[in-house]
Amino acid sequence: MKKMWKGNHAIAEAALRAGCQFYAGYPITPQTEVSEYLSARMPELGRKFLQAENEMAAVYMIYGAYACGMRSMTSSSGPGFSLKQEGIAYLCANNYPSVLVNVQRWGPGLGTLDSAQTDYLRDTRGGGNGDYRVIVLAPNSIQETVDLMYEVFDLAEKYRNPVEILSEAALGQMMEPVEFPEFKERTEDLGWTFDGTNRPHGRIANPDKPRMVKEKYERIAAEEQRWESYQVEDAEYIFVAFGLPSRTARNAVDQLRAKGQKAGLIRPITVWPFPYNAFKEAKGNVKAFISVESTDAGQLIEDVALAAKKEFETNIPVYGLFSGQKIPKTKEITEFCERVIAGQEKEVF
Amino acid sequence: MAVTKTTPTMVSIANSFCPGCGHGILNRLIAEVIQEKGFENKTILTLGVGCSCNMNSSWNGDKIQCAHGRGASTATGVKVARKDLLSIAYQGDGDAYVIGLAETLNAAYRNEPITVFVVNNNNFAMTGGQMSWTTMPGQVTTSSVHGRNTDETGLPIKVPEIVAEFPNVAYVARGSVHSAKEINRLKGYVRDAIEAQLSGEGYSLVEVLCPCPTNWGMSVKQSVDWIEKEVVPYYNLGALKERKGE
Amino acid sequence: MEIVFAGFGGQGVLTSGLIVSEMALEEGKNVTWMPAYGPTMRGGKAYSVVKYMDGMIGGPDMEEIDILVAMNQPSLEYASLMKDGGLIVINSDHVDDDVKIDEKYDVIRIPCLTLAQKVNNPKAANIVAIGAMIKKCGLFPPEQAKAALRKIFTEKGKGKYADMNEAAFMEGYDGV
Repeated sequence: MKKMWKGNHAIAEAALRAGCQFYAGYPITPQTEVSEYLSARMPELGRKFLQAENEMAAVYMIYGAYACGMRSMTSSSGPGFSLKQEGIAYLCANNYPSVLVNVQRWGPGLGTLDSAQTDYLRDTRGGGNGDYRVIVLAPNSIQETVDLMYEVFDLAEKYRNPVEILSEAALGQMMEPVEFPEFKERTEDLGWTFDGTNRPHGRIANPDKPRMVKEKYERIAAEEQRWESYQVEDAEYIFVAFGLPSRTARNAVDQLRAKGQKAGLIRPITVWPFPYNAFKEAKGNVKAFISVESTDAGQLIEDVALAAKKEFETNIPVYGLFSGQKIPKTKEITEFCERVIAGQEKEVF
Repeated sequence: MAVTKTTPTMVSIANSFCPGCGHGILNRLIAEVIQEKGFENKTILTLGVGCSCNMNSSWNGDKIQCAHGRGASTATGVKVARKDLLSIAYQGDGDAYVIGLAETLNAAYRNEPITVFVVNNNNFAMTGGQMSWTTMPGQVTTSSVHGRNTDETGLPIKVPEIVAEFPNVAYVARGSVHSAKEINRLKGYVRDAIEAQLSGEGYSLVEVLCPCPTNWGMSVKQSVDWIEKEVVPYYNLGALKERKGE
Repeated sequence: MEIVFAGFGGQGVLTSGLIVSEMALEEGKNVTWMPAYGPTMRGGKAYSVVKYMDGMIGGPDMEEIDILVAMNQPSLEYASLMKDGGLIVINSDHVDDDVKIDEKYDVIRIPCLTLAQKVNNPKAANIVAIGAMIKKCGLFPPEQAKAALRKIFTEKGKGKYADMNEAAFMEGYDGV
């Protein structure tokens, strides 16, 4: 029987079930419940919880522990996650796995505590110095948050790359019915980790590194794209949305279909790698893509435009509904689409 | 009776430190103690950013390169993952006391069971000799070309003295490599620091005064004399916090 | 179904949402519960939003409210987000009698605190309101509602208050 769980508590419990042995983090709303929950649960399970002095320290603690192969994670929100970028770049530079959780809040700088998706570009483009990518998964329900969290350590270790769960304030704060998988543990040696014996770890300053980087990210892009399509095949107006806005967008599809409009929805689950392949499923007479996102000036829309360019020979206009620090309401999305159909909105791309 | 000394495995590869640099001596002492303790294959060194980076090519043992200032945090993570291993952070003064002051002090404050070695050569050496928080009053560096003005930049920082005030840290000392006598004493500090970790006593820190002839614009002889006359009177040598039960 | 419980901190509006979520969950519905959090909660404002339905639930926050439970007067600001014909349950102990409510809404006024005090359970004004709401709208059978109520408090380690809370629930249920 499913039970009601708060998003931030559920993600923490799922991490434990996925075998997380070590958590380091620093308090910041709206993700603090992740830390609070783990501070209680980890000692019970004989695992290590550490409240760090700052976000950098937290990420380097994870860095040191995962270099030794221990399943470790950190979590934060907006400004705190900015501070972690230095360490994330180091994780990527050395091909260390790790699990990161960003429960996004709105805005640059201090921003607000409102639910938003304004970290999209930073998190899908690397975010720190150098050319690297983090695998980023964006759930849209608490059950999916749990299911994805259960997989990410495996994914991180498979590619020796950080994996991030991109959550949202509302998804962290709300409650939904959840069912958890069983506890699991990885016991085998990863082969490359630090054990004191100075065995090979994969060289850092390898002259061949640029090629290796390119190959690795191409492989991830080829193998790990995930998405959910809804009514896409014959759709003329296709919403693209991830996280919570994808839920209201899906309801908007239903409302528009009820009114005779062929609407559809592509929901990226991996926002990096972006699911270009999802766009191949659109076989109808596509008239517009509409990016629906909780941003101010549009971020996801850039990937939507690139996907439209890549997968379609004709130039399909791309519109953006940017709801700022609110989850766009179903009604707003429906009305926006109707204005697009009526030629009353201006395309962004 | 003749004593045969062999080079410890961990420093068996030629290093690339400048002539007269103190790092090599400290490297050797750490390697000797690790070997004496039988931990050659049970040690992970976390390297800070600065001249410590040179050890990526010379330290013949497990080493993790971390970001500037985050040595104590990384070494903390290593120790969490591998309680059975020796986790050492090896950093310079700019790394541990300037950009990484927060991480250095906080790891000590929590009494993380790690050992931190900090080379104090009174400047940012890797970047060509800029002023550090350890630069002596009036000392000329490339970013204090008229001599360090302590009215504007503060007096040289004494982190080991701060750390020694934390009630539960296991061991804190300051040594120097400017003379044979001090090198011998320093080895004792290194041993105490490492033993403090191995026996589960907690956090240990050893600061080491080192010459930097290249950036000081001095000969090696001038450098060691300057340490003796100018640095040691300010940065006093010896254990600042003794191990319990000794 | 979209229900908003609003009031000031300490009136139990977050718990109200959890109780109703549990009732909906027992019926096999999809459920979301969303609290006001962060600065919204400072200055005494608090609310929770519960949505449940058979299909997929959209956004968890207020969109088009079916029922607003206003435990104090400022909570009536959320009435602007209500569907026409929606229900407003007013705690008349903390809302002025002469406050104007648009006629397009159905309204019940119930002295939640007074009724809770009547059963020696002054903290349970929120539960009185739930009782009134469930009766008025016929949302759940009373036995199912009481079972959910008992379950929630038992899980919170407050099982010994179950009878008192049930009494408060019935005050609201019978008070409509």
